Amino acid sequence: MEFILDGFWQAIRLLISGNPETYSAILATVMVSSYSIVCSLLVGIPLGFCLGYYDFKGKKPIRTVVDTLMALPTVFIGLLVYAFLTSRGPLGNFELLFTLPGIAIGQTILALPIVIGLTATAVESMDAKLRITIMSMGANRRQLFVSTLWESRHAILAGGIAAYGRVMTEVGISMMVGGNIKWHTRTITTAIALETNKGQFGMGVALGLVLLMIAFCVNASVALLRRRY
Amino acid sequence: MKTPPVYEITNLKHSYGRQTVLSIDHLIVRPASIVGLLGPNGSGKSTLLRLLGLIEKPTHGTVLFNGLVVEPFSDAARFLITMLPQEPFLMKRSVYRNVAYGLKLRGGGRDMPARVNEALALVGLDGARFARRPWYALSGGEAQRVALAARLALKPKVLLLDEPTASVDAASAQLIREASLQAREELDTTLIVASHDLQWIYEVCDEVLHLFNGRMFGIGHENIVFGPWVELETGRCGKMLADRQQLLVSSPPDHEAAAVIAELSISQKGTPRDADDWVLQGTVTRLNLARSTGKLYATILVGDQTFTVQQNLEPATEQTIFPGKTVFIHYFPNQVQWI
Amino acid sequence: MINKTKNMLLMASIFCLTLCLALPLWAEAGQTLLMATTTSTDNTGLLDELAPVFQKDTGIELKWTATGTGKALKLGQNCDVDILMVHAPAAEKKFVADGFGSDRREIMYNDFVIIGPQSDPAKIKGKAIKAALQTVKAQQAPFVSRGDNSGTHKKELSLWKAADLPIPEKEGWYIQTGQGMLATINIAAERNGYTMTDRGTYIKYEANMGGKPPLKMLVEGDAVLLNQYSVIAIAPKHCAKAQYDLAMQFVQWITGEKAQTQIREFKLLNKQLFTPNAK
Repeated sequence: MEFILDGFWQAIRLLISGNPETYSAILATVMVSSYSIVCSLLVGIPLGFCLGYYDFKGKKPIRTVVDTLMALPTVFIGLLVYAFLTSRGPLGNFELLFTLPGIAIGQTILALPIVIGLTATAVESMDAKLRITIMSMGANRRQLFVSTLWESRHAILAGGIAAYGRVMTEVGISMMVGGNIKWHTRTITTAIALETNKGQFGMGVALGLVLLMIAFCVNASVALLRRRY
Repeated sequence: MKTPPVYEITNLKHSYGRQTVLSIDHLIVRPASIVGLLGPNGSGKSTLLRLLGLIEKPTHGTVLFNGLVVEPFSDAARFLITMLPQEPFLMKRSVYRNVAYGLKLRGGGRDMPARVNEALALVGLDGARFARRPWYALSGGEAQRVALAARLALKPKVLLLDEPTASVDAASAQLIREASLQAREELDTTLIVASHDLQWIYEVCDEVLHLFNGRMFGIGHENIVFGPWVELETGRCGKMLADRQQLLVSSPPDHEAAAVIAELSISQKGTPRDADDWVLQGTVTRLNLARSTGKLYATILVGDQTFTVQQNLEPATEQTIFPGKTVFIHYFPNQVQWI
Repeated sequence: MINKTKNMLLMASIFCLTLCLALPLWAEAGQTLLMATTTSTDNTGLLDELAPVFQKDTGIELKWTATGTGKALKLGQNCDVDILMVHAPAAEKKFVADGFGSDRREIMYNDFVIIGPQSDPAKIKGKAIKAALQTVKAQQAPFVSRGDNSGTHKKELSLWKAADLPIPEKEGWYIQTGQGMLATINIAAERNGYTMTDRGTYIKYEANMGGKPPLKMLVEGDAVLLNQYSVIAIAPKHCAKAQYDLAMQFVQWITGEKAQTQIREFKLLNKQLFTPNAK
């Protein structure tokens, strides 16, 4: 049990002393999760919005597939991405294995179903009176589409936060595709896995707390954004 | 050269899935008129308003606006028709931007702030104090007033109101009523209002349409009484009222049908005029003057049932009817119609 | 209105700036050699000591990923790495025979030991390995295995066979963790049981425990407990993209006098972990 308290003090020490390994892991985590979240938002929000906004044949089955994909285990995604990125695989020529961009690809796959599914839900839960209001103001089809998208921004943002949380805390993809290479692809989560495997529980807790702090900072800035807009 | 009616509806049917919720053979709305829609919940009032507001397209039939066939997003209509839904609803932005939204769609212009303030003033809101408020910092009544202001700012040709005063406080209700009428006065806007506020409807409307179960009937001031109907002691069909009086009717087609009683008259004495005449005793609760027709309407409470009876002005002064007075209403049960 | 646009532009530019600052990290300068090794090797910290020296001597940056032996060999076979450093001689020889690896050089060894609680309930201290295992089975003492097809695990299985015992599987006293060596040792400590580990990892464990580990070395010294480490360069015939020349530079360097001395002098708690034996 003492290792929890131990870890707390270690976390402070690591951050204040500017421990290079820790900061390298922090930078890797922030970079890779930011890249993957931006990609998945750029692709996922339009797709999710159309899924929720329009009525078409096959809407329900597609929705079910998206919801199922939300539960993809990260090690499984890691394995699939490895199969594509491996030297002998179809994308081997890009030499993305054991690199941060490689991890970002896997994490984008992880985040996409979450963003798509939650965006679709956000649109579907829009009040019916919104449509009446916007159309009553004289909007045409395009303006209705855009305004509905803007009106659902808070719920979509919540979906983005959920996806970011999942992406920043995953281990399976980072481990399999990144290789946990010190200074290069060691993220905070793979570092935690390493330390706990070595029996260094205190260190594991310390890194976990650091990760929590980063998540807190991100969420705090988003909350600020939310209030303004 | 005849101006076409604002709306002309022919053979309109609207269904959700397999259920038909609205079925209207023919309806005409004249320009600059005020039309009231009365009917219980689920009678199709909101559906009709949505179809007239071009929010949805009817499953069968056409809507003609100013003589042109229109549907949702039609350019010929979308800047001219606007609808206010029942519950107050604003977009997630400031009051100013809510009101300015429609103006921006029409190109904005440098006088936009002035027009926004003007519209807010119409509903009794001070632009300086309210313009910056976010959507969540308003009471229900204030929000509904802002929603109405947003529509009035557009100077629409048609204003559709779905129970505009149902979910708001009394002060806001009053302001909403006045603002709507003012629009009609200044802009010749056609108003179509669905409301349970019988008094207001009778007071302001040129025409009153009754809706029941998706069907429209009666363009006047009929009285409708709902079942369930039972067989009364004398072997006749009717309903027991709260004060033990019997409301007699002709044979109902089924248990749940609604009875339409036209041709009501009032007397002071209560003596039946002939064998078929049925008399009920009640109390006058209200007198309303219809603006357009100049006719007087008395609301009479019989037990728990209210009746509205039209009076001509002169006979009313002769009979000196006033609220609180006990009167008798006469009708012919044989002539009761059913829907 | 104008304020809002300004705000958004400002935030967007900050975001882009941050990304741009981070970009240099994407670019890799200099030559890099990618190695696959085992977790137990990595956990000792030896590579952390050797890599900077190697870089200084040759200008090549050594990057390594640590996994189980099976996966390391697989990575080599799939041409995802340039060189291997593992300790599973039988599997390594097969790897070369199959044409995946080209140059295999032995670099150092240590030995495996059986560790267990100080109190030694099954009384195996000092016994020969065969007798020790037979006693463990007879006593049904808790025995924790790697259970992950690693070099260590394969060694352990061979010891059971050598003791003429069937390989335990579902027995209640036999615990298969499927995890790395340190994690397995920790589980053994929790269960007050025995396990087989390489000396290097044990010393690291001892150091982690501040010199006072709950599990002590009980059985050691048998010839069959030898743990040989080798490096294997991935065969260029098998993988055209493998950086064979860089790999060979590492092979030359680590079998050279300087690196071998450094291996000998690598100590934890003042104890030597590896014995260099490059020929």
